[in-house]
Amino acid sequence: MTDHPIRILLAKIGLDGHDRGVKVLARSFRDAGFDVIYTGLWQTAQSTMLAAMQEDIDVVGVSLLSAAHLTVMPEVLRHRKELGIENVPVVLGGIVPEDEHHLLYEMGCAAVFNPGASVEGIVEKFKTLAADRKRLSLSEAIAGYESKNNAALGQLITYIQRDQVDGKWTPPAGSAKVFGITGAPGVGKSSLIGKLGKAMCEKGFKVAVVAVDPSSPVHGGALLGDRLRMMWGEPGDNFFIRSLSSGKEYGGLGPHCADVIRALNGYGFDYILVESVGAGQSDVAIRDVVDKTLLVLMPESGDSVQFSKAGIMEIADMFIINKCDLPGADATEGQLKSAVGADRPICRVSTVRNEGIEAAADLILA
Amino acid sequence: MATKPISDPQAAPVANDKPFYGPQDVAGIDYARDLANPGEFPFTRGIHPEMYRQRTWTMRQFAGFGSAEDTNERFKYLLGQGQTGLSTAFDLPTLMGRDSDDPLSLGEVGKCGVAVSSLDDMRRLFDGIALDQVSTSMTINAPAAILLAFYIAVAEEKGVSPDKLRGTLQNDILKEFHAQNEYVFPPRPSVKLVTDTIEYGTHHMPQWNTVSISGYHIREAGASAAQELAFTLADGMSYVEHALERGLDVDEFSKRLSFFFDVHNDFFEEIAKIRAARRIWAKVMRDKYGAKLERNWWMRCHAQTAGVTLTEQQPTNNVVRVAYQALAAVLAGVQSLHTNSMDETLALPTESAVKLALRTQQIIACETSVTSVADPLGGSWFIENKTNEMEAEANAIFREIDDLGGVIGAIEHGYFRRSIADSAIKQSLAFDSGEAEVVGVNKYVEKDYERIDVLKIGADVEKQQVARLQQLKRDRDAKRHQQSLEALRKAAADDANVMPFLIDAAKADATVGEMMEVMASVFGRYDGGPEW
Ligand code: B12
Ligand SMILES: Nc1nc2c(ncn2[C@@H]2O[C@H](COP(=O)(O)OP(=O)(O)O)[C@@H](O)[C@H]2O)c(=O)[nH]1
Ligand SMILES: [Mg+2]
Repeated sequence: MTDHPIRILLAKIGLDGHDRGVKVLARSFRDAGFDVIYTGLWQTAQSTMLAAMQEDIDVVGVSLLSAAHLTVMPEVLRHRKELGIENVPVVLGGIVPEDEHHLLYEMGCAAVFNPGASVEGIVEKFKTLAADRKRLSLSEAIAGYESKNNAALGQLITYIQRDQVDGKWTPPAGSAKVFGITGAPGVGKSSLIGKLGKAMCEKGFKVAVVAVDPSSPVHGGALLGDRLRMMWGEPGDNFFIRSLSSGKEYGGLGPHCADVIRALNGYGFDYILVESVGAGQSDVAIRDVVDKTLLVLMPESGDSVQFSKAGIMEIADMFIINKCDLPGADATEGQLKSAVGADRPICRVSTVRNEGIEAAADLILA
Repeated sequence: MATKPISDPQAAPVANDKPFYGPQDVAGIDYARDLANPGEFPFTRGIHPEMYRQRTWTMRQFAGFGSAEDTNERFKYLLGQGQTGLSTAFDLPTLMGRDSDDPLSLGEVGKCGVAVSSLDDMRRLFDGIALDQVSTSMTINAPAAILLAFYIAVAEEKGVSPDKLRGTLQNDILKEFHAQNEYVFPPRPSVKLVTDTIEYGTHHMPQWNTVSISGYHIREAGASAAQELAFTLADGMSYVEHALERGLDVDEFSKRLSFFFDVHNDFFEEIAKIRAARRIWAKVMRDKYGAKLERNWWMRCHAQTAGVTLTEQQPTNNVVRVAYQALAAVLAGVQSLHTNSMDETLALPTESAVKLALRTQQIIACETSVTSVADPLGGSWFIENKTNEMEAEANAIFREIDDLGGVIGAIEHGYFRRSIADSAIKQSLAFDSGEAEVVGVNKYVEKDYERIDVLKIGADVEKQQVARLQQLKRDRDAKRHQQSLEALRKAAADDANVMPFLIDAAKADATVGEMMEVMASVFGRYDGGPEW
């Protein structure tokens, strides 16, 4: 197991905006070879533990400098229990008076770190905790999957990703529609998926997201940043997000992405959205694993460089121009129309303004 | 920022890491042009000719915790101990524009500052304090306009009109995007709201500082001294440009812009930073923005010692650190000062810890004689060279910001957050490797150092505050409340100045959370931009 990156989640819960420490830790963990998911500011105990479950996290790190730890941590541990992931250790760091440490250990925190704690020491502790974590066995994970247990699904995906299923099991066939959402980094794919997912769930569909992060890892670790953009309110059982690192090759889909999608499909999701940058080899790769490809663009001043680059234009089935709150949307739409003709749908949205989301969702649901 | 370049600093070569400095290191300096006497342009040496001989700085300890009554009591205590201005710390829900009974406020009410959700809370916060006698600073940003509206309404009830009010609203939303993370609306409407308060203040509150343009948070989040200096002044220029675009007269609004810097450990660098800030600002205001009144060339500033330098280990050592940092602030000629308490890493300060911090300033003022002469370090080869170096670095950073389309463009590119995070990582690596030495942490470590008392805030504060707020929501005149919010929504949608509407809504007992929600329905909510 040691040759697979440890998966950790770093969370800021509540209104606390002190993020200097957590950012330093995120980068240090990545450099130590971990896959790191940072969920961003203003999360809740519930969203944090749901993420831990879906992402099959080895250790959850909560950073609190707001003096709210005695209210927040019991909530975190309660959700951990309710979600059936008591095997995931939770570590707390931040401003925690020494005379309260014992209370936190007693309620179930695995470790508490205060200002001045060395990053090296923290990394070591996480390694030990991850190594000691008791995961479901493969057959337990499969059994759980079959009885529709989301925690088991989370862990089974890890087995698939690590190539540890090895023909011992194949998922049942499903009827999900699989969409590839591709486009250059920063056009707003993750933000859009967050909003689309919400709109689709509200219509009663079960939606899964596979977010393939393009970061090409320098030290074997990766900072998986898509989830941070996708979070909205309280994700429920109907919205399952899984972040994958693309592995060695930049922009690729990473190992076993197709198998992960099949597993989600067999689990009973109605729609599966796959985010990737769609650069280089994955243009082809994505076409193999999805039913339809949706290319996300944004208004760009100047020429139509973004269109000319790519074989991606040919494989896309539909287009979304995001960030239409910015200037230049009309021009971009005009250029796009003349480049692709009238047969493929083009939709304008602004995820920040919540405009056009319904229409985009309808495009997918059609 | 506009395109007109800021004049480059003096020709003197910038030296780095030398064993000593000499006349060659200040060769290009022209005394009259670059330094001049204290009180003379470009004010490198201070904004007043007599500096502290005439009046010492304002000693202003940031205070706020628990309920409005708790903080009111602390205010009265501090005034009784000789403090000369009030400074209000709000709790996280208030800072984020949420009511005490919002689900996201759970566990945070009154914990990191005082909870103020309504006019009624503000009334109790300043109970028995004469608002025409005291100067009050309020550390609040995204909902700053709302808290100002509460303050104006409370003053009115006490018979004090807005033009009599003295104080400072932090109201610096730009650095929230860079560093402190208390933004709610996207950058552009956020700055519009700040401009509304500048406009209102210019017309109705001649003694009120409308924005405290802050480097403190930028630095504490990890920035270097030069980044702090440059980002802060760039923010200042951005506010000036927005106010000019609004059609305000530079000489009318700019006198009420003030600054707020950190005072970190590198003693001389910090002094040079503040001297450079004065020189840059004076030139910018006079030459770039054409301010005519001399006082509008002044970079007036508050300073705070650097919380992030204080340690949990051997906490009494913090008193010593704070004393050195405070001395640097005084030698740099700041207008007001907060000294941190030795229990900084543990919790909000206890009464005795905050008293010791205040005494630290008082000892500098009363006993060291450093107040007897303005800019005592002026003319030091090292200090003058370092001041030039700071200015040159700041100018280089201004160009980077300009290239990204000014401050808002740079925010949208994630420039500030990325630069600050990179610097923070460097510092953490240096501590971990021992390259940066910290007494009690990686040097002269003691296992069983002496522990000190820690302030605890009970959960009853939250219960009480939530109950009271819900009572208020039940009892208020529902119709008037509704109408005032509708008028606010319309004003925001029509791009009108929202200040009068906020004051009206405040009087109708609309809460912070409600007014923010109404404005968010027009302005949108910001998700943080490209760089987390
Ligand atoms: C820097 C700082 C700020 C900066 C924050 C910049 C930023 N973006 O992070 C600024 C100036 C903006 C700021 C503002 C405020 N602050 Co402040 N701030 C601090 C300060 C001085 C240092 C924190 C820090 O970044 N240290 C450096 C980093 C690297 O260390 P760290 O975060 O502690 O992390 C280390 C360990 O704690 C641990 N750790 C931390 N998290 C985690 C997580 C995990 C999983 C693990 C394993 C370990 C771990 O490992 C890290 C490495 O050693 C502390 C006091 C102090 N000296 O600790 C006050 C402090 C946290 N702030 C405080 C307050 C009250 C505020 C405000 C609410 C003030 C106000 N009313 O306006 C605002 C709120 C801002 C907000 N949006 O939340 C209080 C909190 C009181 C309490 N908890 O009881 C403190 C304790 C100061 C005090 N005594 O009053 N602050
Ligand atoms: N102006 C604007 N910015 C957006 C919009 N959608 C996303 N963004 C911003 O674009 C940046 C990149 O978004 P992200 O979803 O991470 O893009 P991805 O790399 O394609 O997944 C973030 O800063 C978002 O806030 C939009 O509709 N308008
Ligand atoms: Mg993404």
